[in-house]
Amino acid sequence: MSLRQLKEFCIPGDWAEVDAQLGRYGARAFVLAGGSFVHGLDARGLLHEVEALIDIRNLGLDYIRAESGGLRIGATTTFAHLQAAPTLGESPWLGALADALACPPRQIRNVATVGGSVAASCPYFDPPTALMALDARVAVVAGGARREFPLGELFAGTFENSLRRGEIIVELFLPRPTGRSASAFLKLEGNANDLAIVNCAASLEIDAQGRCSEARIALGGGVGDAIARATSAERLLQGRVADDEVLWSAAEAVGEDIDPHTDHRASAAYRLAVAKVLTRRALTCALARSARTPT
Amino acid sequence: MNDYSVIGRSIPRPDAWEKVVGGRGYPVNLRLPGMLHGTLLRSPHPHARIAGMDASRALALPGVKALITPADVPRIPYSATFFKPATSAAVVRDMLILDGTVRYAGQPVAAVAATTASIAEHALELIEVQYEELPAVFDPEEAMREGAPEIHAGVRHNVIGRPTYSLGDIEAGFSAADHVFEGVYETQRVHTCYMEPRVCVADADAQGRVTVYASVQHLFGLREKLAFVLGLPVSSVRAVQPPYIGGGFGGKLDLAPIEPLAALLSLRARRPVRIEQSRYEDFITSSRHPAKVYLKTGISRDGQFTARYARTLLDASAYASEAPEVIRVHSRFGLMLGYRCPNAKWEGTLVYTNNMPGGAFRGYGAPQGCFAVESQIDEICEKLGFDPVEFRLKHAPRCGDPHPSNAAWKLDSYGFDECLVRGAERFGWRSRAKAASGRGVKKRGFGMAAQPLWVSGCLGAPDTYEHSGAIVKLNTDGSADLATATIDIGSGQTAVLCQIAAEELGISVEAVRLSGGSTDTLPVDAATHASRTTYASGIAVKAAAAAAKKRLLEVAETMLEASAVDLEVREGMVRVKGASAHAVPVADVVKRAESPFVQITSKGTMQTVLAEKGTIIGTSSLAPPRNPSPASAQFIEVEVDTDTGEVRVLRAVYAHDIGRVVNLAGAEGQVEGGLQQGIGYALMENMRFEPETGACVTADFLNYKMPTAVEMPRSIESIFVETDEPSGPFGAKGLAEPCLIVPAPAIANAIYNAVGVRVRSLPITPEKILAGLGKI
Amino acid sequence: MMQLVTLEVNGEQHEIAVEADGALLAVLRDGLGLIGTKRGCDTGGCGCCTVLVDGRAVYSCMMYTLSAQGRKITTIEGLAADGKLDPLQEAFVNTGAVQCGYCTCGFIMVAKQLLSETNNPDEDAIRHAIAGNLCRCTGYHKIVEAIRLAAKGG
Repeated sequence: MSLRQLKEFCIPGDWAEVDAQLGRYGARAFVLAGGSFVHGLDARGLLHEVEALIDIRNLGLDYIRAESGGLRIGATTTFAHLQAAPTLGESPWLGALADALACPPRQIRNVATVGGSVAASCPYFDPPTALMALDARVAVVAGGARREFPLGELFAGTFENSLRRGEIIVELFLPRPTGRSASAFLKLEGNANDLAIVNCAASLEIDAQGRCSEARIALGGGVGDAIARATSAERLLQGRVADDEVLWSAAEAVGEDIDPHTDHRASAAYRLAVAKVLTRRALTCALARSARTPT
Repeated sequence: MNDYSVIGRSIPRPDAWEKVVGGRGYPVNLRLPGMLHGTLLRSPHPHARIAGMDASRALALPGVKALITPADVPRIPYSATFFKPATSAAVVRDMLILDGTVRYAGQPVAAVAATTASIAEHALELIEVQYEELPAVFDPEEAMREGAPEIHAGVRHNVIGRPTYSLGDIEAGFSAADHVFEGVYETQRVHTCYMEPRVCVADADAQGRVTVYASVQHLFGLREKLAFVLGLPVSSVRAVQPPYIGGGFGGKLDLAPIEPLAALLSLRARRPVRIEQSRYEDFITSSRHPAKVYLKTGISRDGQFTARYARTLLDASAYASEAPEVIRVHSRFGLMLGYRCPNAKWEGTLVYTNNMPGGAFRGYGAPQGCFAVESQIDEICEKLGFDPVEFRLKHAPRCGDPHPSNAAWKLDSYGFDECLVRGAERFGWRSRAKAASGRGVKKRGFGMAAQPLWVSGCLGAPDTYEHSGAIVKLNTDGSADLATATIDIGSGQTAVLCQIAAEELGISVEAVRLSGGSTDTLPVDAATHASRTTYASGIAVKAAAAAAKKRLLEVAETMLEASAVDLEVREGMVRVKGASAHAVPVADVVKRAESPFVQITSKGTMQTVLAEKGTIIGTSSLAPPRNPSPASAQFIEVEVDTDTGEVRVLRAVYAHDIGRVVNLAGAEGQVEGGLQQGIGYALMENMRFEPETGACVTADFLNYKMPTAVEMPRSIESIFVETDEPSGPFGAKGLAEPCLIVPAPAIANAIYNAVGVRVRSLPITPEKILAGLGKI
Repeated sequence: MMQLVTLEVNGEQHEIAVEADGALLAVLRDGLGLIGTKRGCDTGGCGCCTVLVDGRAVYSCMMYTLSAQGRKITTIEGLAADGKLDPLQEAFVNTGAVQCGYCTCGFIMVAKQLLSETNNPDEDAIRHAIAGNLCRCTGYHKIVEAIRLAAKGG
């Protein structure tokens, strides 16, 4: 397309090859998985400097492992592959992820990967918002060394991630909640093939007394430079029975947590109003799902 | 039901078989030996003078074969519009192929042809342009102010024209009114979004004659306009008809810069040159003009219009192109003529801005007017307690009335009342609840709108007669070839015209094949526009088929020992009327006439006379005699989410006076597709631009939203009212456009009925509804 | 930068030199002459370029050709390879789902994946399956009908 400096497109079969390529091209190497986002950058002429594209799909990172501690998702697992995983349909706590994965069109779900979608640090994507509400952790590898950190730390700004040079995302880990738990994701979009104008994922853990022992709310779309956690709203839910009044006040509180902007798709005022509505609805949906969940 | 054998049936489009396996025939697929790839350099500035240009480095790049700068183009001012003659007084000739002044962001400033697309792209980067930036103005009201930038030299206040319309005494009309309603209704810039990009291959031969293949809606318009701008006689340009193109909707009714530039590059390089637009280029090539309509209506106590006044400010954009005609159609068919009122007045203003070009788009000026009129009628009915269906019926013209746009004609066939009555009944209009009476967060609403008057072509517009022509040739196997210069843009002529030919010839529709041609071989034809082709091309095809049949019957005279007037053709057999046993196959008659050899039959050598010999062929070239009016009514049910402002269209019933249905499935497809464009116009489509640079920020499908299958209603019903237009082919008249014109006001009215919020500007975004509900 | 690749398209192996940053769409159309796959927008917005890769619908304008190595690519030309139309192709013709037809092949390809997963999709499933494809002519009504008809076996 427009990678005029491109010298090589490689599909390494092992890490040694990856390291060799990264060593050779340094900052002029660009890692891709599904490629749909990279293509978007390319088509807009943003990758003029790139000399090597490294397609990491043959590194064995396409896996989904349901473990007692949680769910491990390999970085090159496609949305479609993850969507079809039985655990996703069976686990109310993963409801937000299932909801979010259903949003992109089929042609994107078939190629876009979980790792790629978070590496893009695009606050308008849907699955990352769900992953934030599910307290995802990211595992990255560089030169054989691995480190893990909360997903929120990956997002340094719109289209900017905090990866250090040579680091590649290999896995996302979703810790399994302890009690009765469910999550939900909702999106406001211009049509069924759209980036989010606003999206929201809510995850609740309900204790034996019916109180929220844990609440996590994440918002995306044009509500900030990166996906935001609505901590003020979360605090209002913590330790309380989520009745209507609590849900309304929590939803109202997201105004404290986000910084919506105006663009050609919507005004800041509208995004704020809808963020509150989506939060309330996502919480309501998560709560309803949790009520159907065996402890 | 009718007595026809082919007319009125649903038949698959003949080209559908080809299209489902790939569709070789699209112009975008054409490649010629030795072909070069052309590409355009476009200005980043919305308003600038080109102070200098150095293309020497680009020309020196290996692989670059031709380069065109503003200094290299003929200084022939033109208007891009295809359907008006190049020298018509009704067009504003304000364009050059490449101009030394840039008037919108993205305007081409140079063109390159090279052996590969990437060399051509690279060459563009080597062209150095010195722009002297000029102040730009994007808002038409600002453009008219004293001291605003002058966009075209000598055009004071950027006002191209102030057309008017008037009837009766407007002052007296308002004095007589018991109620006066007024409002400002605004519509946005939208794009046709044809799926096949505009593409052109120009091939100049050694003598300098240019053959051009392009994805356009008007074959002869392309030839005429191209010859004019290149300063060539029309015979030096040959436009070749593609078998089909990938959509148009008006977006391919103007000369785009790529066609003359491909021709100039080819003339220079003496090799074929192909230019294919990117989607971004498509988006900034043509659009529906935004309009601001002030509408004021006087009503008597008993609900009669006493006065209707309107004022329209149309953003004509950087070049006038279609705008003078768009605003004329807008005033007549969008605003003033649909309903009877003794006193009417309209004042229009056409203003240059530094916005991207406007152009034609299905509905052509009417949607901007219909939205105002039909919204305000709903406001009137709501306020004064009239039923919107009854109210419209009361003011609409009647069958047999003089035609409101041309007193020389009558409304010979006219079924608006039936559209309203049958549509309302099918929809269940009577069960409509009072506005905003629903409970819950999501509220349902019913709305309707109508287009009482429309066209079957442009006859009646200045300098416009709209000839069509056809050639029908019978083959020795009993089949027929049909050729017309009509371009099927997806609108279904391939089926409809074959049906008309088959019906007239008395052969099966499968035996008629649409064949192609070029401006060298085909009779002249007007554009595929203005809901005209079934009517106007249909008349021509029927006439050509009748001419061929006449000749067929003459040859059959000796075979059947009967006079031609006593013969008929049915089911592929020529027979003596009333004596079905006495018949010969069409194929045998054609063989007798066409074969240059003596025919040997089972009975021995068959003798023919000299006069019978020759191809059985019929041709026609004629202008349609009338411009009969279709009419339509739209009924819509919506659901509005009062927390988010989102609107879902749940159900649509559309009734249309079509004269006669020729192809039922094709007609339904027009209505369903029109609804998609109408819903997009109503709720989401909107071209947006950087406020400083005028650069389009919605030039892709991520940012330009149109309905997908998910946003479309599950239920779409079409009702076709058949009024049998006397001048139409088998009674048919126009269909294509009203089904896009009426949805927007019907949706606006349904939204009002659901939530009590009146939105007078399109698109009706969720945001505007929440604002109306006082939630933001 | 050209790179040599082997692509399996419609069951045939093709060894072809491609631009390393080229999209699969360009190779299919210009390299292999498979013009049934259309370019509509180049940014994954219209779906005209949809093909199947390992049986799954993808936007070929957004897939690097080199990423398609070692996978089975199916284009519209691969559906009626034996001369007999796919039930989807038949249904698109017979329901009137084809108008200008430029989007048609993309819709058929995405529907092909849907029908390989279920033979009884409900209307919502069909509509969501084709949400990544735009049509400006039909309003989708007859396209949905065609897919439903094809699901029932034509």
